[in-house]
Amino acid sequence: MALKIEKTFEVPEPVEKVWAFLSDPRMVATCVPGAQITAQVDEKTYKGAIKVKVGPSITDYTGEVQIVRLDTENHEIEILGKGQDVRGRGSASMKMTGTLRALDNSGTEVRSVSEIGVVGILAQMGSRVITEVSNIMFGEFTKNFQARLKEPSDDPAAPATGADVKPIKATAVAWQATKGLFRGKSESGS
Amino acid sequence: MAKKQLITVKVNGREREAAVEARLLLVHFIRESLQLTGTHIGCDTSHCGACTVVLNGKTVKSCTMFAVQADGGEILTVEGLASSAGQLHALQEGFKQEHGLQCGFCTPGMLMSSYALLHSNPNPSEEEIRWGISGNLCRCTGYQNIVSAVQHAAAKMAKAGSEANLAEGVAK
Amino acid sequence: MGHSVKRKEDLRFIQGKGNYVDDVNLPGMVYGQVVRSPYAHARINSINTEKAKAVPGVLAVITGEDLAKANLAWMPTLSYDKQMVLATGKVLFQSQEVAFVVAEDRYIAADAAELVEVDYEELPVLVDPNKALDSGAPLVREDREQKNNHIFHWEVGNREATEQVFQSAEVRASVKAFFPRCHPAPLETCGCVADFSRATGRLTVYLTSQAPHAHRTVLALVGGIPENNIRVISPDIGGGFGNKVPVYPGYVCAVVASLTLGVPVKWIETRSENLQSTGFARDYHMMAEIASDRDGRMKALRVKTLADHGAFNATAQPTKFPAGLFSICTGSYEYAQAFCEVDGVYTNKAPGGVAYRCSFRVTEAAYLIERVVDVLALELKMDPAELRLKNFIPEDKFPYKSSLGWTYDSGNYEGAMKLALDRIGYQELRKEQAEKRKKGELMGIGISSFTEIVGAGPSHDFDILGIKMFDSCEIRVHPTGKAMARMGTKSQGQGHETTYAQIVAQELGIPAGDVTIEEGDTDTAPYGLGTYASRSTPTSGAATAVAARKIRDKAKKIAAYLLECNENDLEWEPGKFFVKGAPSKSKTIQDIAFAAYTNFPPGMEPGLEAVDYYDPPNLTFPFGTYICVVDIDQGTGEVKVRRFLAVDDCGNIINPMIVEGQIHGGLTEGLAIAFMQQIDYDESGNVQGGSFMDYLLPTAVETPHWETDKTCTPCPHHPFGAKGVGESPNVGSPAAFVNAVVDALSHLGVKHIDMPITPWKVWKVLQEKGVAA
Repeated sequence: MALKIEKTFEVPEPVEKVWAFLSDPRMVATCVPGAQITAQVDEKTYKGAIKVKVGPSITDYTGEVQIVRLDTENHEIEILGKGQDVRGRGSASMKMTGTLRALDNSGTEVRSVSEIGVVGILAQMGSRVITEVSNIMFGEFTKNFQARLKEPSDDPAAPATGADVKPIKATAVAWQATKGLFRGKSESGS
Repeated sequence: MAKKQLITVKVNGREREAAVEARLLLVHFIRESLQLTGTHIGCDTSHCGACTVVLNGKTVKSCTMFAVQADGGEILTVEGLASSAGQLHALQEGFKQEHGLQCGFCTPGMLMSSYALLHSNPNPSEEEIRWGISGNLCRCTGYQNIVSAVQHAAAKMAKAGSEANLAEGVAK
Repeated sequence: MGHSVKRKEDLRFIQGKGNYVDDVNLPGMVYGQVVRSPYAHARINSINTEKAKAVPGVLAVITGEDLAKANLAWMPTLSYDKQMVLATGKVLFQSQEVAFVVAEDRYIAADAAELVEVDYEELPVLVDPNKALDSGAPLVREDREQKNNHIFHWEVGNREATEQVFQSAEVRASVKAFFPRCHPAPLETCGCVADFSRATGRLTVYLTSQAPHAHRTVLALVGGIPENNIRVISPDIGGGFGNKVPVYPGYVCAVVASLTLGVPVKWIETRSENLQSTGFARDYHMMAEIASDRDGRMKALRVKTLADHGAFNATAQPTKFPAGLFSICTGSYEYAQAFCEVDGVYTNKAPGGVAYRCSFRVTEAAYLIERVVDVLALELKMDPAELRLKNFIPEDKFPYKSSLGWTYDSGNYEGAMKLALDRIGYQELRKEQAEKRKKGELMGIGISSFTEIVGAGPSHDFDILGIKMFDSCEIRVHPTGKAMARMGTKSQGQGHETTYAQIVAQELGIPAGDVTIEEGDTDTAPYGLGTYASRSTPTSGAATAVAARKIRDKAKKIAAYLLECNENDLEWEPGKFFVKGAPSKSKTIQDIAFAAYTNFPPGMEPGLEAVDYYDPPNLTFPFGTYICVVDIDQGTGEVKVRRFLAVDDCGNIINPMIVEGQIHGGLTEGLAIAFMQQIDYDESGNVQGGSFMDYLLPTAVETPHWETDKTCTPCPHHPFGAKGVGESPNVGSPAAFVNAVVDALSHLGVKHIDMPITPWKVWKVLQEKGVAA
């Protein structure tokens, strides 16, 4: 199942500060609900994991995140994340392109285009739910991203440990998603 | 061995007691612990209604409940419709007379839903009957004869009711 | 016969005392659960079953590797292909069986199944059958010698002669019609209880089977168990519709587990497993073309089809016909020339194809011809009823040999059509439609005049895995005049316990209530090929009549002996023989039965019974005309079926009530197929329609009121002129629904809409044509 999500949001921080954050997968991972970077393989490749809980069912994906392209001059990054469910029940992949643009108000516009693929049991649950869940996860990511950037510390905060990583509670997310469907709300760019 | 708890349920008029796991579905409790296999399982998403029973006066899909949730309650299954002397319920008669079943798999669920329907609405229109059994799927009959069966039963029960009233009236 | 006798089998069903496979409870019984692949196409690097095996209460975890040691990792399909029982090497479709867990109860089995760890390596997926034969397409089947995705090419008719007619045709009309993949979804899913007894050395399998004897023979061949030591019992079956004809991996795993553990093993699949891995139906990508003259006389038909079979060719087909009876696509019409070709391909989808009351691909054929005839009518600006009447095979031309090789036994297409047009009030409806069009309202009338082809089949052409498609009946009359009869067919709701008894009652005069009918136990029932493709009445029904007549012949001799007269002096009326001219001198069948055991002619074999194995001389050809009236809601695109009239002709009818019930049910399935259902796959091979959340079944609210009527054109070669009818409604109705919707929109330039015709699809068309509300 392939989904394309495009999101643009603003951060009231200067573009270089945002770029330093965005171009470091370890930083980005702290904003993705339920995700963590577990090791660095080489300068472009990291090992990671993400935990998604739907009701009593937890799906643990482990895999790799790779920086496919890093254009420091134009502030563009393309990363590719691929993971397999540890219990062999499926896989997921995401290719994300993030572009920054400095704004007149000394803030930064972040534009991201993500292509998400899901294979397996989760994909059977219906593209409707997957789309809405992805949208909501992205919403959380945006909030976390903005919040992390506001934090005064410029020490690349220690990557979240396993204990800190709260799996996204997709039941709540799914309930939101279903409500969203009825309200006719659609933020999906797919 | 998983922890079990004791539950007591009145089923078709009889008190039944059993030690069950918290996660045991009510439908499995009925079919396996109580050996009442008239209630069937037809899906895994609560759509088909083959597992319909009457719990504390209301129809429930027993596949979407835990047995422990029925503790202290009263259940009526298809096996409890006929009288203890074996006289068939008007609905059972109706299904037979009107050819309201073919493979028979949805029939217990249909009977229980219809039973509850006629209880709350003794004289339903065709549209009300169709809505009343809309939680029960059937692949064989196309529902038309099931509607006739419920109408047949409704008429029979109304007649029996008025005859009983008449008898009472006369007795007075 | 001919009476709407109430059903005997109802008594247990209405009391909840049916005996379905999941109701079977044997001492010491354990439970099996299948572990399934989440990927549509992937290599299996390893399977780790240690954690699963360690769960308390787990008795075994079987993988393909284990089965391979006993040569059971693969099994033959009913189409001479082979299919993996448990995956070895790679998985070929999402939900394919990968491992089998056996545990003390189903909850423990489910817990353990979650703990089986499989290391998969994803492979490129093939879901578009149109790309299956491209040079770069992923190869689904590495096990075959032929390294491509092509299964078969089949053709019939005269390609060149047909081409010639097309060259000189005044008018040509064509349509590309897709019959989507759907699933019969009987309310009871598939399952079994396999019980190997170490005490007796016999294997008993309670099986959701529409063909118990065939399954017994396959189990014997696959499992290497002597056939006399296998007993298949098909108890009450909660609907079949073709879904319970194939042999599924779950059955084989349960048998293996029982043989290994020496205890009964129950395996019952969930609904999701049923929809995602068991025999689906249709998935035919079809193209049809008609060559006609300007006055609407059709001259030739050309058909080309791409058949998506999924990962294994597991269709239940008579051997000679890889596309089943699809060549009935000439339908009810005369074509001087016709040509039909079908190519089957593999894709990364579940296996199957022949199911959902299709009569071996007749649903696809009837849909195609009835659609393309309507397209031609549109092209010629001719009324679709008029075009059909102009081209029907006339009654006096039967038996009729079609240009694709079938000899239709009898038919009166005009009779059914005229009755239908009259009853629906066709002329008034057309007037109403014209008026509504002026006001911008959308109303449609759809006609489908289908021809069925059932009763497979004569031994010279029909076999499944080599076993000829005869069927059987054995009747035994008891001393007190009651009887018992057993057949090789197996009812899944068709009412055999009543209808077969009616046949015996008709032929022997023993009241139907005194005749017990049994089917489904291979230890006692005579060999037969089972119930599907509407074959029971044409084959076992015939066998019942023939066996009864054999008994009557013997009864006559006994009667002559008892009445001290010559056989030739006797006349028969149902239930008794009497002396010609002296009706008071008679013996009832009950008298005769008693005498068969107590006072039979010297030298005669005692008893009163007979068996018949009936090899039908031909198939039978039921037919009908269905008319559907729809109104389209221009705001939502919803199609409301205002009226649906089904006029069916299945020859002589045994029980009109039962026939009518079959029609209601089949029309409801046709409605679902036309408007609501599809098992679709996304580009990664994920099933979209794998549970009732997405695969829709109509409830009593969506289902309209069905009107039925009949004509009767007896079958000339059947012992009592019957034809069979169970699948006619599925065969005839999809075209009626689709033709009605297209008819409602044809004045806007719409020629065809593919099924399922959802409100969304219709709404898009309305938007496009500028008529949405």
